[in-house]
Order: sequence, then structure tokens, then C-alpha cells
Amino acid sequence: MEFLNPAALFGLLALPLLLIPYLVRKKPRRLVFSSVLLFLEAGAQAGGRPLGRINLPPIFFLHLLLLALLILALSEPVFSVRPTNVAILLDNSASMQAMEDGRTRLSLAQEKIGDVIGEIGLGGQVDLYLTTPRLTKVQEEPFTPAQALNALKDIKAYDLGDPPLDYDRVLSQLAREQGYERVYFFTDHPGAGQTAVARVISVGRPQANLAVTAFDVHRASLINARLQASAVVANFSAKDEKIKIALKGRGATLASRELPVPAAGTATATFEGFAEHLSYEVAIETRDALALDNRRFAVAPVPRNLRILAVTPRPQAAASLKSIQGVSVDVISPSDYAKFGGRDYGLEVFHFSTPEQLPSNPALFILPPESNSLVDLGAPLSNVQVSSWREPHGLTRYVNFSLFRPTYARPLKPQSAGQVVIESPAGALAFAVERPGMRYLILGFDPLPYLGRENLPMSIFTLNFLDWFFDSGGLRSQATGAPIPLTAVQPGDSLVTPAGEKIALKSAFGSFAATFHQGIYQRVRGGASELYARNLDDLGESDLRTSMPIELRGDAANSGSASVLFSFWPYLLLASLLLLLAEWFINPRWARRAAPAMRRGWRGAA
Amino acid sequence: MLSAPFTPEFLSQLETLRLRTRKEFLGHPGSYSSPRRGTSLEFSDYRRYAPGDDLRYLDWGIYARSDRLYIKVFREEVDLFAYIFIDASASMTFPSREQKFLPASHVALALAYVILANHDHVKLHLLQHGGGASPIYRGRRRMRDCVEFADSAAPGGGLEMAAALGEHLKRLHRPGKAILISDFLMPAPGYQKGLNLLRAFNLDIVAIQVLSRYEVDPPFPNGGVALIDSENQEEVKYQWSAAARRDYRTKLAHHNAEIRSFCHQSGIHYSFYVTDRDLAEFVFATLPAIRLFK
Repeated sequence: MEFLNPAALFGLLALPLLLIPYLVRKKPRRLVFSSVLLFLEAGAQAGGRPLGRINLPPIFFLHLLLLALLILALSEPVFSVRPTNVAILLDNSASMQAMEDGRTRLSLAQEKIGDVIGEIGLGGQVDLYLTTPRLTKVQEEPFTPAQALNALKDIKAYDLGDPPLDYDRVLSQLAREQGYERVYFFTDHPGAGQTAVARVISVGRPQANLAVTAFDVHRASLINARLQASAVVANFSAKDEKIKIALKGRGATLASRELPVPAAGTATATFEGFAEHLSYEVAIETRDALALDNRRFAVAPVPRNLRILAVTPRPQAAASLKSIQGVSVDVISPSDYAKFGGRDYGLEVFHFSTPEQLPSNPALFILPPESNSLVDLGAPLSNVQVSSWREPHGLTRYVNFSLFRPTYARPLKPQSAGQVVIESPAGALAFAVERPGMRYLILGFDPLPYLGRENLPMSIFTLNFLDWFFDSGGLRSQATGAPIPLTAVQPGDSLVTPAGEKIALKSAFGSFAATFHQGIYQRVRGGASELYARNLDDLGESDLRTSMPIELRGDAANSGSASVLFSFWPYLLLASLLLLLAEWFINPRWARRAAPAMRRGWRGAA
Repeated sequence: MLSAPFTPEFLSQLETLRLRTRKEFLGHPGSYSSPRRGTSLEFSDYRRYAPGDDLRYLDWGIYARSDRLYIKVFREEVDLFAYIFIDASASMTFPSREQKFLPASHVALALAYVILANHDHVKLHLLQHGGGASPIYRGRRRMRDCVEFADSAAPGGGLEMAAALGEHLKRLHRPGKAILISDFLMPAPGYQKGLNLLRAFNLDIVAIQVLSRYEVDPPFPNGGVALIDSENQEEVKYQWSAAARRDYRTKLAHHNAEIRSFCHQSGIHYSFYVTDRDLAEFVFATLPAIRLFK
């Protein structure tokens, strides 16, 4: 016998509450009697017990039975027969690597799957599915139970987050389309609800965890090649932690420090002035449930230039940017933009011009014409005084705004979401828009030409925004599962995975998508190699305290081709109703027996 | 015309009864024997002739046989004085006056009528604090006065039986028959002291215990009850259940047996009346069984 709604069985724990009215002696009813002579001895005994004598009339047992039947009916008990056609979905996301009493959640799930497979008849068929990186069947042909047990041993968890799936729909769709008698889903998410066909079987329990959620190695600025690293550590627990965080390069510790991390908060550790290495690893020393997210990898930033495409009717002003170290500028007229647009530039500068569509590269708009989609322009101003600026901000650092006086400006009236960085009494002068992987800056004044020391405030601002754009275009580590682009593959090229597996690359490969494990991927091309870092980038996997529950709303209940369940809760409900009817007949009769006596016989209970 | 249950039929049935006494009293000439030698037809003894004796009582047969003069002595017959004591404490009003005190007074009135119908003397006494007593009635026409006296009674308050009886006995000057009607719901020493007091006054005693049905079988609801004594307001907390009900009945039976036993040992007629029983059945079946009537 199984229960479709086993949570209701917890209601049985409430059954003893029915005793309370009988255990706790009520305030006694006060009755006048001719003489208490014959009650004196026994009365003293009754008064000596704080709870009085347990007085359980037969109606109590009727109530008890009635309540138990109702709770059993609510738990929807069913008799089941052995299913023969079963689908088993196994959550192999990163959080399944979390340890539970010395074992991973995945191994716990595998053990439970073994139990389920053991209950399937010898002639049964099992289809195994994995949920990450996407819901896929392990083998096209169904397994026999024995084969399924063998295949199960080889399954490993990936360093990936859960795919965004509606499991209620997925399970019901599988049952409907594939005709499964049962669909089991083994996961570390709590399962809510259960249907005749679908079952969610959960493993694991909420645990505290610490995780490195971000790690970045970059150069200090466009013209400063000094390396800096920053790592963010999140504390998914209810108590403050103090951990040791270490920066490593080629396996050796380059720097380490103590880092206090507040409860349910984050802390950032920064490192500077460390040696150059091809790749870096940051690791925290802690013995928490999930070891995977205690490390994170990054690739050293390669020295490079900021390539600028300047679209301007004043080429000389834009060309002045070439005097800045590390900057290369291609200057074109606005009419030529169609030819150059879409190429890979670190920055596109639209000087007194604007493209028809927003560019795919980061872009700077300097005094755009009236017909632009980003801002409206106010009346022209001269020698504008800056009234406020955003601080701290990469665009405003080191700028002396008391000396910062654009000779010509037009206040901006932003038309899209962003932040005003510099403001004059007449309106915004600099407006920044940041979107994932993309930055736009609109200026209401002209910082060009770049004059160096001759106009220090404006020159510092110019270097600031170049750094700001350079920073956005730097190489960053990507999440596991993000493909590694493979361009110009030559025979003999290979890719070495973090596990050390060497994969020969073919020219047909456009990219390598199986980056399911965290670490450094090395593409070997001839004698040279390129490194790619891939890290678990899903906070939901690291936060082991609360997982999104999987709710089965019942679609699956109606979708199975053949139910193997015999539900008998309606009969329990019927029995409960009959008992209720019996109680209705019995109980008032008792009340009637006592009530008239009270009316007639007893005077004045006080 | 008296009200129910004293219908003409019931009264005429009562007239057929006559109280029986087990003691000889000194009283006015009447129909009950007296220890005094008198002029009744009932022979008592012989005694030697003394000058001045009535020569009509000389037994001439003895003189002829023995040549000695003996006088025949006859018993004197006297009137009966009956004293009916009715418990008028607060406990006699449970569950109501109509369900306990009234039936008890009906028993008293029925017996009073038996006495009045035999042209004897009856006096009703109310046992309560400062309880009154009726005049001595004689003759069946005084039955109405008896009824009025009983109706005017207002039961209430506590009862010390011996003390209350003592108050009434102080004003009695003639021995006779005492009929005590009470629920006897008091500790044994209390009623025993009272009955002994009656015995000390040389009264022929009848004790009639009257209880209501609700005292025999209390209909409390199961669960905790706080019982308040109707006389002394003492409160007892009690857990009422089927077992407690059985326990109570056992105790009541034991209490009643104790009263019966004491009465038996003391030469007192004892009878038990539950007020929901038929009065006529009690008077004509139960009371004759204890040889209350001739």
C-alpha cells in the first residue's frame, strides 16, 4: 500500500490531541446535592489528582476512529501492483555532489533507484534519464532492470546547475508520450505532491555551505599592467564564518588571507601584485557539504590593446585618442559605418553621430544628434558647472570636478534605464547604461580631442571611460556548459579537459560544448595553447539550505497510459461519513439523557 | 375536601388501620393498654383483698376453694399519644420540595389520619432550627388542621437531629408513639443520638427513611462535578462515571443497612420510602410488613 499524499499522515500525530479534553479535567460543574456525606471519601481521592481520572466514554473511541479514517482518506492510500514500464529521471546537477554523512547525494539517489528497480518485475523495462545539461535519455533502448543497475553505476554528477524545467509538465509528458506506468524523479529538491504515475523521491537535507561565487583576474587599468584578482565568497548559513582564502597559480599558493564572511552574506577578497601565471585558482579552506564550489578558476588576462572604432565627422578629434598607450583607433565617417559595423571592437565611439541600431560592441555616444533613441537633448549651454557626480564610480575617480568645465554641453534627458553619472543644474551630462556584457555611455559634452596634460580633468575622465570600457571587454571566466569557440581548427589540434582527458579536435567542430566540469580547459594548437576557465555559476546549486520544491500539481495523474494503482480512499471517506452518521445518532441521545435531569433536578449551579 | 392523595377512598382505607404499640403507656382511659390496673375487660392479675376494695371484683370461686379473699385486677386501657417528627431541613427539599418533603409529609399525614380516625391524639413536629409543632389533634375532623400545618412548613437550614428532638421532647409530658420521618443523610452518630433520645423518653419509635429517586440514583453527567451540600454548603469535587455511580449506590446501601441494623437492635420499627413510589402501596403494603398496624 502506498500513499499519494503521505504528508497527510503527519495528521496521525495529532490524534493524541483528542485525548486532551478527556485528560485535562474541565472546571467541574457545580451542583447542589442534598448531602455530600456519601461523596466525602471518594471526592477527596478525585481531588487529589491534578488531571482527574481519565474518563474515556465509548464516543471517544468513535471519534478517534472517525478522525483516523479521515486522515487516512486524506493521505490517499492506494494499492499498487508491480509496474513493468518505468522511467527514472536522475538529477545529476552539481548540488548532487554535496555530501550527506560521508556519501554524496548522487550515491544516495543511486541506492534508492536500486531499490525501485529491484521492485520491478523481471520482464520490466527501465528508461534512465539525466536532467543536466538537458533532459536526455541515457540509452535509446530501454534497459532491463539488471542493465539499468549497471548503467546507474557509471553516472556521475556534472558541475552544472539545474536546467529550467517544469517537472510537473515534463513528468506528465513523459508518462503520456512514452506510456510509462511510473515515472520516478530522484533529486535533492524537496518534492511536493504525488500523483498516481509520477513520484518525486528526494535525497539530502538542508545544509550550510560556503562558496566562491566569483573570481576575476585582471589588469589594474588600460595603461597599468599590474595584476589584480578579486574573489567573492558567499556564506549560505546562519552563522558568521572566518575562512582562509588562497590564490594559487600552477598549484602553488601565491597569496592567502583570512576572510570574515557574515551569515547569509558575502565578502570580497582582493589580491594584488602577484606573479604572472597562465591560470589561477582561488580556494577556500573549509569542510562544508559541497567541495566543488570551494574552488574557482580564472585565466590570466593577456596584454592587449583597446581597439576603437570612431564614427565621427571630425576625424582629427577622434584620432587624438591614438596618443593614449594601448589604444588603437580606426576613424570612419558616419556614412561608412555600415561597412565596419559588426566587427569586433572593444569600443565604438559615435561622435556627433548615432547608428540606426544599437551596436553589438560597447559604445560611447558623444553629443548624439537629436534623432537618437537613447536620450533627448536639452538647450545648448556653455562653460557648464558640474553640480553632482556619482561616487565611487569608475568614470569619476580622480577627476577634479571643480575644474571640470566643458565649454559646450547639452543636458541629457534619458529615455532608457541607466544611471546618471555626472549632472549639471540643467540636467545630466553623462548617462551610463549597463546591460549584461554590454556598456553604453552617452555624454552631453565633447571630451575630444584628447589633450593630455593640457586639460587634465577632461583627460582623466577620458582615461576613466576608456578603462571602464576596457574592463567590460576583458576576458572573463564563463559558466560550466558555456561552449569553447573553436576557430581555425587544424589537424592535430586537441582539447585537454580539467580531468586530463585529451580530445582530438576536427575542423567540423565549431565549438566544444561539453564543458560540464569546472576547471581549466586547454586548447592545444600546434605548439601554442589557449586556456579557458569554466566555473559552476549557479547560486542555487551552492545554497544547500533551501531548494526550490518540485510541485506535482496532478497533471501526471491523468496522463499515464495505464495506472497500476487501486485507490480506495473514497471507501475510507464513505466509512468516515457512516461513522459520522452513527455519531450523530448516538451522541445526542446521551445528551438528551442528561439534560432533562439537569433542568429538573438540580438547583442553581452557581 | 382534601387534595390528592387524600381522596375519600384513600381515607376510608386508612380508617381500617390501627396503630400497634409495643409499649404500655400511662394515659387517659382509652383503647390502648396501660400498665395501670384499670377497668377494662382484659384480666391482668390477682391480688389479696384489702379493706376498701370494690367487692364486685372479689373472686368468689377462689374464696370458695381456698377460703381466702382475692381481688381480680384488670388492665386499664388508655388513649394513644402519637408524635410525628418530620425532618424539615434543607436536604428535604432536594431535588425539590414537591419531590421529597411533600411525599414525606404525605406519609406523616396518612399516619396522622390513622391515629385521628381511632380517636387518638397526634402531634406534628417539624425538625429544623427553631422548628414548630402543632397542637395535639384528636378526631378525624382535625385532619384538615394537620394538612394545613404540614403545608405551612418551610424546610430549610441544617439539622442536628438530637438537638432538634431534644427541643421538642422537652415540651412532651406524655409518653406515646414517636414516628420519625427523615432522610437520615447524616453521620451515624447523629441519628443514633437522636433515636436514643427518643428511646430515653420511653417512646415507641418508628423510623421512616425518605429519599428521592435522585438521591438513590444521581443523574450527574459523566466528568467532574463539584457537589455542594444543601445544608452546610460544603463542596466536594467528584469525578462522576459509571464506576462512581456504582460506588455511590454501594455506599448508600451500606448507610441504609447501618440505620436498619441500629433500629433493629434498638427495638425501633424501620422502613424505607423512595418518594416516586405509590403512597398507598407504601402505607398498605410496606408499613404493615413491619407490624406497624394491628
